[in-house]
Amino acid sequence: MPFVSRIQRQSDYSLFSPSTPIVIDNGASYFRIGWAGETDPRVVFRNIVQRPRHKTTGETVTIVGDHDPTLLKYFDCTRSGPRSAFDSNVVYQFEIMEYILDFGFDRLGANDSQIDHPILVTECVCNPVHSRSKMAELLFETYGVPSIAYGVDAAFSYKYNQQHGVCAQDGLAICPGFCTTHVIPFIDGEPVYKGCCRTNIGGFHISDYLKQLLSLKYPHHLARFTWEKVEDLKMEHCYISQDYGSEARLFQKGAKEAEEKTRCWQLPWIPPPTEEPPSEEEIARKAAIKEKQGQRLREMAEAKRSSRINELENELHGLEFLLKQLEQVEEVNIPSFLSETGYVSKQEIEAALMKVTQSLRKAKGEPKGEQAEMEEKNDPAINEKFHLINIPDNMLSAEQLKEKRKQLFLKSTTEGRQRAKQKRHEEELERERKNQEDEVKRLENPELYLEQLHAKYKGLFEKVEQRKRLKINGGHTNGNNVSGGVGRGERLNAAQRERMRLLTTAIFDRGKGEDTFGARDEDWQLYKLMSKDNDDEDDGPDEDESELARLSSRLQEVDPTFVPKSEVGTLQTAEVPRFRPLTKEDFQIVLGVERFRCPEILFRPNWIGIDQAGLDEMAGVSIRRLPSRDQELEEKLTSSVLITGGSSLFPGINERLEAGIRMIRPCGSPIKVVKALDPILDAWRGASAYAASSQFLTQTFSKADYYEKGEDWLRGYQVQYTL
Amino acid sequence: MEPEVIEAELVLPTHLRFKRIQMYEKYPKGQSRGRHWKHLKQIIQAENYQNYPPDEPNYVNIESPPSMHPCKKICDITGYEAPYSDPRTNLRYANAEVFKLVRSLPNEFVQRYLAQRNAAVVLK
Repeated sequence: MPFVSRIQRQSDYSLFSPSTPIVIDNGASYFRIGWAGETDPRVVFRNIVQRPRHKTTGETVTIVGDHDPTLLKYFDCTRSGPRSAFDSNVVYQFEIMEYILDFGFDRLGANDSQIDHPILVTECVCNPVHSRSKMAELLFETYGVPSIAYGVDAAFSYKYNQQHGVCAQDGLAICPGFCTTHVIPFIDGEPVYKGCCRTNIGGFHISDYLKQLLSLKYPHHLARFTWEKVEDLKMEHCYISQDYGSEARLFQKGAKEAEEKTRCWQLPWIPPPTEEPPSEEEIARKAAIKEKQGQRLREMAEAKRSSRINELENELHGLEFLLKQLEQVEEVNIPSFLSETGYVSKQEIEAALMKVTQSLRKAKGEPKGEQAEMEEKNDPAINEKFHLINIPDNMLSAEQLKEKRKQLFLKSTTEGRQRAKQKRHEEELERERKNQEDEVKRLENPELYLEQLHAKYKGLFEKVEQRKRLKINGGHTNGNNVSGGVGRGERLNAAQRERMRLLTTAIFDRGKGEDTFGARDEDWQLYKLMSKDNDDEDDGPDEDESELARLSSRLQEVDPTFVPKSEVGTLQTAEVPRFRPLTKEDFQIVLGVERFRCPEILFRPNWIGIDQAGLDEMAGVSIRRLPSRDQELEEKLTSSVLITGGSSLFPGINERLEAGIRMIRPCGSPIKVVKALDPILDAWRGASAYAASSQFLTQTFSKADYYEKGEDWLRGYQVQYTL
Repeated sequence: MEPEVIEAELVLPTHLRFKRIQMYEKYPKGQSRGRHWKHLKQIIQAENYQNYPPDEPNYVNIESPPSMHPCKKICDITGYEAPYSDPRTNLRYANAEVFKLVRSLPNEFVQRYLAQRNAAVVLK
């Protein structure tokens, strides 16, 4: 990381005489403060302020600059993020500016009652007078500064490089900064603001663009792209392509060159533990546990059953004993005896006895049907019950006739029951027979048999399904709506459509022509068609369904791998998302086109929606804006183009800028683009050298000047860069 | 405060010897104050640049004019040159593969891609 904060407190503040100026490079991204005449600023930090709340004490504190992020864990930074005093490149929040100056002077070691040194502060080109005067007011009133001078950072950088022979007296300073990019023409060593131009694009926009692109490309790793990290990525990997189109085409084709240029950031990733299939022992152990649990449950059920049987038997004995006692009791004493037992009559006791006997039988697991069968076994006896049936009506009295009718009814129901039973029995036999046949076939050729069975099952299943679908959705299902329901968007089936048609015609036919409805008998069929539930009365599917059930059970018997289709079907329609184990590649942030796409916005601000000229065009604009057009001067300017500022660190910017300027200049004009010695610190160094000169004090203004000369003077205030 | 926080002098002290007016005197605690600063737009407006000669450089008139070069259209997603643009989403795309992706993007992402070049639909 090229920018390193230096925030150690300096101890030699008192060694400097009050005439030694303090030099401040107040950039939108970094604040640099130091002593005039020195080569490096003493204190450098990011130009931001945070006002978090201390987690334990709850007080709001002020933290200036960038610090070790591990120390910030004691603070609650969620309420307010880092704030800057800058709007674009102009200072507008002087409360924040004051915190920053406090911190800067504090770290410089100031300990007198006021800052008794002249101050040189950098500002942007054509800083609005509001910002200028507020800054002066702050410095004079709060810090007691004796005098101030304002200067432009890019100009100081150009002058510094001019002194070191990098650029000439006449030239262009191109300064892509943090929020803005300036081009300032220099004539005779002085900046000409008339010819100056500014595009509102800078390093901030590049980082932001990269951050946006990455978070759109990798939404899962959003939390990784903190501002600091993205800045680091930008500074480490971004470069400026000589020709964007051809460079992008390389990547599009997947050329080898592009592969080499692709950078990959591997996020921390731990491969998931591979799951081993359970061993034989494990399976056996699990089965044993299961078996044990089953055994326990069975035992519990058995114990419960036996206790119930016991209970019932006790009750039975009690009741029998009661009956016996009742027989021995004399007729007269029966009511008093019964009142003791809680029963009203002998019949009630007998009924209770009956009930207990039945439930005992049930508890012991004897089939309930036995009793019924027993009843039916004595058929001849029952036949005797219906003794009246065979006697002709005329031989019976009225009483007996009534009885006969009753008997007739009873007999028909009994016979019906028997017939049903018979049918059931026959069906059972049929099924048994079929199964036996199947068994024979199976034994003959098991594979063929299984195949046939599967085919049959499949065919039948489809048939049944088809019918179901028709019923639900009129054959127009699109596969994802098996559960059906005729919703608004669903199509109706043929029957439902017909019904709708009938209903609507019935409504709209009213009063049209002669009404002959009801003349023919068929007309009344209409109501039957209209009634809602006419579509599921056919018994057809039942047969198929029972056959399907039989086949399914048979298949389950024979084929252990068989799973009934309906279960499979629901699984398939539920669209189970297929899980792919995450791989190393999922935790890689690949920087390909982004490496040169992001800094390209310096040359094409259009890409991020800023409709202004890019870096190369700005040079042309700047030359055109100069008041005196003179070819010799223009050639001089283009042969000494200095590029400085934080965003000029991208590799390839010189060549690209040279090519860009060559395109807009007349053929054959001399063009030379040079990078500043240190694009970041040169502004401060130039300012430091400037403040160290003996003539510096002539360029400053004091508090008295400030209040006497007024705002208009301050507006026109401009330092002379050549002393 | 934790010892390492104090040692690093992380927190700006409230009282500084070299200041004539302390922060707590300027902005007393518990006293509500409105916005005491102007945004850049308001500052520029208050500068009344229209009252000064137009050839005098000021913050507004030193801005660069719009670019005269034709704007190169690039694929919003991949960054390749984009010969096509999708009329439904307004996204520019490089080839059929990207187009598939464009059509599968949820609207939120489409808007975010558009917002990058300041072309998103802004509801006010």
